[in-house]
Amino acid sequence: MSAPLLSVEDLSQHFGGLKAVEGVTLSVSRGEIVSVIGPNGAGKTTFFNVLTGVYPGTRGRVSFDGEPIRGLAPHEIVARGVSRTFQNIRLFADMSAAENVMVGRHARTRQLLLGPLLRTKAFLEEEKAVEARAVELLDFVGLRSLGNERARNLPYGAQRRLEIARALAAEPKLLILDEPTAGMNPVESAELVSLVRRVRERGVTVLLIEHQMRVVLDVSDRVAVFDYGVKIAEGAPRAVMADPRVIEAYLGREGA
Amino acid sequence: MRRLLSHRHAPALLFAAALTLPFVARAIEFSFLTRVGGVVGLMMLLSLGLNMTLGYVGLFDLGFIAFYAVGAYGTAILMRAHVPAPLAAALAVAAALAMRALLGVTILRLRGDYLAVVTMGFGEIARLTLNNLDAWTNGPKGLQVRPWRPLAFLGAIPGLEFVRKESNVQFYFLIAAAVYLAAEASRRLENSRVGRAWVAIREDETAAQLSGIPVARYKLLAFTLSAAFAGLAGSLFALWDQFVTPESFVFWESTLLVAIVVLGGMGSISGVLLGALLLGGIPLLMEATLSPRLIDYRYLFFGLILVLMTLFRPQGLLPSARREAELSS
Amino acid sequence: MLAQQIVNGLSLGAIYALIALGYTLVYGILAMINFAHSEVLMMGSFAALGAAALAPSMFGTGVLALAGLFAASMLAAGALNATIERLAYRPLRRHSRLTPLISAIGVSIILQNAVFLWVSDQSLAFPQPLSGDAFTLPGGAQISALQALTLAAALALMVLLHLFVEKTRMGRAMRACADDLEAAGLMGVDADVVIAVTFFVGGALGGAAGVLYSMSYGSTKYNLGFLPGAKAFTAAVLGGIGNVRGAVLGGFLLGFLEVLSAGYIPNGAQWRDVIAFSVLILVLLARPSGLLGERVAEKV
Repeated sequence: MSAPLLSVEDLSQHFGGLKAVEGVTLSVSRGEIVSVIGPNGAGKTTFFNVLTGVYPGTRGRVSFDGEPIRGLAPHEIVARGVSRTFQNIRLFADMSAAENVMVGRHARTRQLLLGPLLRTKAFLEEEKAVEARAVELLDFVGLRSLGNERARNLPYGAQRRLEIARALAAEPKLLILDEPTAGMNPVESAELVSLVRRVRERGVTVLLIEHQMRVVLDVSDRVAVFDYGVKIAEGAPRAVMADPRVIEAYLGREGA
Repeated sequence: MRRLLSHRHAPALLFAAALTLPFVARAIEFSFLTRVGGVVGLMMLLSLGLNMTLGYVGLFDLGFIAFYAVGAYGTAILMRAHVPAPLAAALAVAAALAMRALLGVTILRLRGDYLAVVTMGFGEIARLTLNNLDAWTNGPKGLQVRPWRPLAFLGAIPGLEFVRKESNVQFYFLIAAAVYLAAEASRRLENSRVGRAWVAIREDETAAQLSGIPVARYKLLAFTLSAAFAGLAGSLFALWDQFVTPESFVFWESTLLVAIVVLGGMGSISGVLLGALLLGGIPLLMEATLSPRLIDYRYLFFGLILVLMTLFRPQGLLPSARREAELSS
Repeated sequence: MLAQQIVNGLSLGAIYALIALGYTLVYGILAMINFAHSEVLMMGSFAALGAAALAPSMFGTGVLALAGLFAASMLAAGALNATIERLAYRPLRRHSRLTPLISAIGVSIILQNAVFLWVSDQSLAFPQPLSGDAFTLPGGAQISALQALTLAAALALMVLLHLFVEKTRMGRAMRACADDLEAAGLMGVDADVVIAVTFFVGGALGGAAGVLYSMSYGSTKYNLGFLPGAKAFTAAVLGGIGNVRGAVLGGFLLGFLEVLSAGYIPNGAQWRDVIAFSVLILVLLARPSGLLGERVAEKV
């Protein structure tokens, strides 16, 4: 077996006295789909925020593709091949859907000032390629016909898919999805599951936070469970769901 | 209107139409119109500059006029040191860029209204410094600049003889050309990787960062570049008026520019140009055309226009249109 | 000498603090810079002048004359501020944050020019209802009757504001709106009323400051508001805009800064505003949300 794509060792993120993430170890292999589940406030999003450079992390190691990335700026992490979406959709509301995806291409393009000002050949070619790639990705997520709509005017489910297209534009090796089915009905969720599978077929590894157990069972190769900032279980979906500690984390919390 | 403005040749046609203004003014014997045109043109240059920071990136700048001042005083001081005018202008623009970059490096990590108040503070510091630094700036009495007639050679062309003596006309042409170039440069940047990054930052800074944009660097880039337009406008102003005083660079001018960009339509080049035409031109035209009984009321009218325009077009006069992608294969 | 500067700084700072409160109260709820606030305080000062012209006894001395000036100014400025909100800001509440700012600039221009055109373009003498000599404080500093009044009035108004915000129903509603306008609306708070009251209160404090400021100059003018308005706004930001205690702290700090730089730095009077703004910039670089402002971490 080759070295894992993402390897997290003993990672912690503290805010003052609050241990939002504490001593998490997790590795994700190439081509896997791994879900992170856990009750609200378990530290899942904070964990993703450390992986993507929003927070610096307090302790521990994160290595991606064999290189340490903890503490790098978010755009540097994107450049190395990690892209993400957000729990609360964060699109560029006033830009068109196609432009949103074109922005996502930033890390893979070069042109700065002189190219566009002088309309050099290199610039025009790059622009053309960026636009073609945007159209291809819109097509991939099923939004091609809506490409010239402003993002704010898209229906909810389309906005979620647009976020995925924007993240894919950076050609990530690892795509991180923060609750991609939040607020979706069962039909939309099922569509999203198939989209996630097709993302993997493109050769992209996927790490996601998910609350709908149906989706978790459908899509994941492996599941990690967080509670109070600590990883309490990890394994195949069905085995993990049967784990008494996991049941307690959910039911115990809800019964309280 | 929208379709007309988005036509591929619209900018060049508008520019050509603008060039006829001095001839129209001459034909209707209202030469003040050319002067109004020049002043409005400077306002357009400044607004296009502010549009780059406020319109594209959403950086709220209430002290932009300071860089107009740097361009004007820089040119004036260099002209008095017998530097040729074009070189003086180029150096003054470079000075404006350098100071803006320096300011940006220091303050751009502030957000929103905190950035606004700090830029306002810097604008006032700049004006008061010009006012107090007598040795360099001659204080409130201002600096005289030796005359420069950039386009006198046009007088050799039959039919254009009048241009030789009229500095208003010469500077009008020069300013019009500068506005055209600035608008074209803005348009090219807007529809490029840089422009998309700027607008993305305005729309959602965090999402922009996590989409791979080095936000701090791109903010600094827009913030700095915008001073090129302001510095150039200041330089043209000093050469044209042959006189600069701190009075021209008061806080009110900065707020007027913010009003132009917001009312015109944030990030919309045609909107910003229209905003500058209206808000810059209306008071001057009122000055020239209102009857003596009404002339004192011009600023009152201006305030009313500002409020009414805001209430009736809160999204801006010409909100920015998004570029259309070619979706069919 | 230093004791004297402290007295002067306190009384100047008290005026800035009162004005800064008007900016910060509005900002706290709507996250909007009320650009017209400086004109509101100017109008308050003219309202007091108008009342005095109608009741000439107010040009006399004594507590009654003083109370009349304050009442006229505070009521007029409060009502004006609430009216401006209703007409020029409320229709824009759903639009970008910068839009109401532009109509505020327009209102500002209208008010200044209305007074310029229809009242006077000159400085007008302002009533001086205070008589009596300066006291000498222990330490040798002199405090004039006006300075004493300024401090007392500012202190009283701040205490009243504190009680209003902390102890009354309306005050609670204001805090709820400042916390989360939408949530407060869902909880049954009538946001429109609360916002109107906030503008009234902020305007009234500005009106009081307008009277004190005019008395200290002995006159008033159509552009009286601009300078103290801009300074007080700076003070509000210095303290942390939206934060009531921050506005007071910022106001006093700015007052001291001005008085001390004029008193101790060569050519200080000329450079005093440069120094004040430089300190502002330095403070914000060290504390990007002002002295008492909360640092709001962005949620991702």
